[in-house]
Amino acid sequence: MKKYLISRVFSMLVTIILITALTFAMMHSIPGGPFTREKAIPDEILRQLNAKYNLDDPLIIQYLDYMKRLIRFDLGPSFSKVGVSVNDIIVAGMPASARIGLLASIVIIVLGIPLGIISALKQNKPIDYLVMFMATLGITIPSFVVATLIIYFFAGKLGWLPSYGLATPLGYVGPVIALSGFSLSFVSRLTRSSMLEVMRQDYIRTARANGIRELSVIGWHAMKNALIPVVTYLGPMIAAILTGSFVVERIFAIPGIGRYFVDSVSNRDYTTIMGVTVFYAVFYMIMVLLVDIAYVLIDPRIKFGSEN
Amino acid sequence: MSDNKFQFTGNTYSDVETARPSLTYWQDAWRRLKKNKLSMAGLIVIFLILLFGIVGPMFSPYSYSEQINKYKNLPPSLSLYKLGDIYLYSSNDYNLFLVEGNGRVIDKIELDRSRRDIPNKIYTYVLNGEDIKLNFSYKMLPAAQRLDYDFTLEYRGEIATQPDRTRPNILFPFGTDDLGRDLLTRVMYGARISLLVAFIATVVNLFIGVIYGSISGYEGGRVDDIMMRIVDIINSVPLTLYVILLMVWFRGGGLINIIIALSSVFWVNEARLVRGQVLSLKEQEFVLAARIIGVPKMKIILRHLIPNAIGPIIVSMAMMIPSAIFTESFLSFIGLGVSAPQSSWGTLANNALSGLTTYPYQLFFPAMAIALTLLAFNFIGDGLRDALDPRLRK
Amino acid sequence: MNDTILEVRDLKTSFFTHLGEVQAVRGLSFVLNKGDILGIVGESGSGKSVTALSVMKLIETPGKIKAGEILFKNENLTNYSHSQMSDIRGKEIAMIFQDPMTSLNPVISIKEQMIEVIRRHQKVTRKQALERAIQMLKLVGIPEPEKRIHAYPHQFSGGMRQRAMIATALSCNPRLLIADEPTTALDVTIQAQIIDIMKDITQKLDTSIILITHDLGVIAELCTKIIVMYGGMAMEKGNIDDIFYATAHPYTRGLLKSLPRMDRKAHDRLNPIKGSPPDLMKPPAGCPFAPRCEHVMQICKEEAPALYDLGNGHESACWLRDERAPAVENYNKGGR
Repeated sequence: MKKYLISRVFSMLVTIILITALTFAMMHSIPGGPFTREKAIPDEILRQLNAKYNLDDPLIIQYLDYMKRLIRFDLGPSFSKVGVSVNDIIVAGMPASARIGLLASIVIIVLGIPLGIISALKQNKPIDYLVMFMATLGITIPSFVVATLIIYFFAGKLGWLPSYGLATPLGYVGPVIALSGFSLSFVSRLTRSSMLEVMRQDYIRTARANGIRELSVIGWHAMKNALIPVVTYLGPMIAAILTGSFVVERIFAIPGIGRYFVDSVSNRDYTTIMGVTVFYAVFYMIMVLLVDIAYVLIDPRIKFGSEN
Repeated sequence: MSDNKFQFTGNTYSDVETARPSLTYWQDAWRRLKKNKLSMAGLIVIFLILLFGIVGPMFSPYSYSEQINKYKNLPPSLSLYKLGDIYLYSSNDYNLFLVEGNGRVIDKIELDRSRRDIPNKIYTYVLNGEDIKLNFSYKMLPAAQRLDYDFTLEYRGEIATQPDRTRPNILFPFGTDDLGRDLLTRVMYGARISLLVAFIATVVNLFIGVIYGSISGYEGGRVDDIMMRIVDIINSVPLTLYVILLMVWFRGGGLINIIIALSSVFWVNEARLVRGQVLSLKEQEFVLAARIIGVPKMKIILRHLIPNAIGPIIVSMAMMIPSAIFTESFLSFIGLGVSAPQSSWGTLANNALSGLTTYPYQLFFPAMAIALTLLAFNFIGDGLRDALDPRLRK
Repeated sequence: MNDTILEVRDLKTSFFTHLGEVQAVRGLSFVLNKGDILGIVGESGSGKSVTALSVMKLIETPGKIKAGEILFKNENLTNYSHSQMSDIRGKEIAMIFQDPMTSLNPVISIKEQMIEVIRRHQKVTRKQALERAIQMLKLVGIPEPEKRIHAYPHQFSGGMRQRAMIATALSCNPRLLIADEPTTALDVTIQAQIIDIMKDITQKLDTSIILITHDLGVIAELCTKIIVMYGGMAMEKGNIDDIFYATAHPYTRGLLKSLPRMDRKAHDRLNPIKGSPPDLMKPPAGCPFAPRCEHVMQICKEEAPALYDLGNGHESACWLRDERAPAVENYNKGGR
């Protein structure tokens, strides 16, 4: 276990170095730089600005500077917002993003798994068709369409929900639905097919032959096996929620990291793009590590250290 | 019962094994795919959408970038007010149009700017020298007035408060956007862009993924370790993030740039899948046999391994197309898509966002196009998975 | 004195697939007395496993017990509800399956699987259940059961898993153990051990056994009574001597002839039964074996024979036993 964790953290560090190097090289190879505006800035000022942000150093020095600051969790200043650091942006966006992300994850797991199980147990019955129909819609309709439809109907036409912001608890409904839609559908489909597969297995018949009550056969013997592929999906699910938040936060005007990220993309605010990318990458890798540990805990056949 | 039934008759054994028509892998898969109604519906829908995108624009009187300034934000269905013998349509931004009774827009009626009565919200338009008064002062106090209309139109002393009829917009079946471009043409053109991006990106991803995965799986050992390590590293960050970075780096959403960005990361999943297939296939005797008689490595991979893994590859391709469409529209939606005046479905949806409450139809059509296409591809993918699954072969 | 444990009367089980009804068991009857070890033998598709699952009422949709009675201790199980059946399973009737590799839950430890079964049927504490489980594992010959019980199935070999499955099945002292090909998936050496264990423990625990197998060797080793099944029907019933030495049915004879034997000469070839089993979607009107039988008569193809009593519980479903049938060596002896 210890050995496994150490090797995982080590490979995470290597990956972070590679990703920062890559993003750094990309962001810095764009001609023009952050101070190129439609209105030409006088050379003298430009030089001062470049000096202030150490943009006149060789690229490798700049990168090492960046990495030095990164070790202290300092992602540097934002290029487009004067006096604001990337850390400030992340700290400002964190609470809103974390809340809708967490709520969406809870909705996905708490609704998706039971729906999938019900669907599997009632295979080819109306309830199964209904759940799978909804799940197919959820997978195919992009989150930005879902979000705009929610705003148009539930916020606009019906007036049940606020159309922007998280000021009231109702404000969370729209973003959470839009953010969880895809993964919720995916989890329920995955749980269903996994459950159907497991229910055909010999050990389920053995459990029944030993007189185990149906509740335990399904809720314990089958579930423990059926959830293994679902757990492996949790990693990609985090990715879907992270990138989904770009769109959802923008449409619902939620001041979260995703929104700032999209803004920084359109403002060509390279340090913020880089900082947020690195932040997302690290966050995602940590979450995937946690998922992998959970996976090992559920499935005794997988031992720490053996990959995949 | 007569005793002569107790005579030995003997058996020939030839009739015991019931002969079944032998089908090739593809015949069998096609036979099973045909039985899947949803997949067949999906195939038909994709065919229609392809037709719509490829042939459609040729029949359109407008080009995708043509702006007809006087016809901005015209909806796909028009509520017509009848005054005397003319039909009028008043748009949400208070432009007045002269329309034929069947819904064909004839012209925009010019507003007489000198006679705008802004405090009372009364506008006067001039049609062939005669005045039409648009009065929406009522709207200021709709509750107090207890009226069931927002505005009145007055022409030749006649006043209309309720639309006489609703007719589909004949000139612009999907309406027009905020620059007066025909949405039908743009959605058709968007189909070209979206599907083109998706197909090319999928083919490129497939190509890289299959080659990469089969080499990794076939070589095994250190080569496999290193190659899979690279895949792991790429995969340790959400793939969409790379695409965003690439698009930022390209600084502009040329069609080529999008295709390159989409093609450069999504192959990793394909590579993993193919590697897994190759790993299990290469242990089989036919590969060993090929190796023993000295078939070159590349030929073994191309002739023996990939064809045997073709089922899962096709299924993953059917699933990759919708996810490419999805990612492209997602990129366009956050402003990293193809650049104007080109438009994909994603950019169309993005453009519609600002006017959503007033002109919801501008979002409806591109969103429907995306959802329908994704749905169709998903059904095809599901059907293919069942049809190509050897376990389900009967 | 009534020492009948199980009586099956005219059991008919079918699977209703989208292609049509598959009649897997077509009117099977047998009686199992206390202490009996009944072997049901037949090739794959003969309906022997379906018979076992029918007794357990573990036939899953689209399968269904169409007709017949299953009398266990004079109670008709066909009328039992799901929950009544689950009270009986594991406690009164236990079952073990063919493939030990897939028949134990891979993600639950042996300990938890055993304790759950024991506590399901007996009012004992976890500690008592654990003790019982360890005792059972010791009984089936698992070394260091106190330690090994914490293992997961994948840490056991095939033979060990089969032992663990037997230990679990017998942990609640069932009256009847149904073993569906318990040794087929195992190495030959392990097979013998498993057979010994089953013989040994069932004697200790006073459990009757129904043994489903296609392996006549296992039957000869263990069974007191034998039913030879073919095409969903019983072809021949009897004790070991009847079946092996006074074979009365052409199918049984075919089975025996297709076995490799030590006393055959080296150049002798095995004699497989020509043809293949009947399509149970369209079962033949007459004797199911008629299309493959070397002594087939017109009557065989038209009408299924009744079981002819050959005395002492030896019965054969063959028209050759009919008095109108022509004489054939070995078959008509004792016919009436």
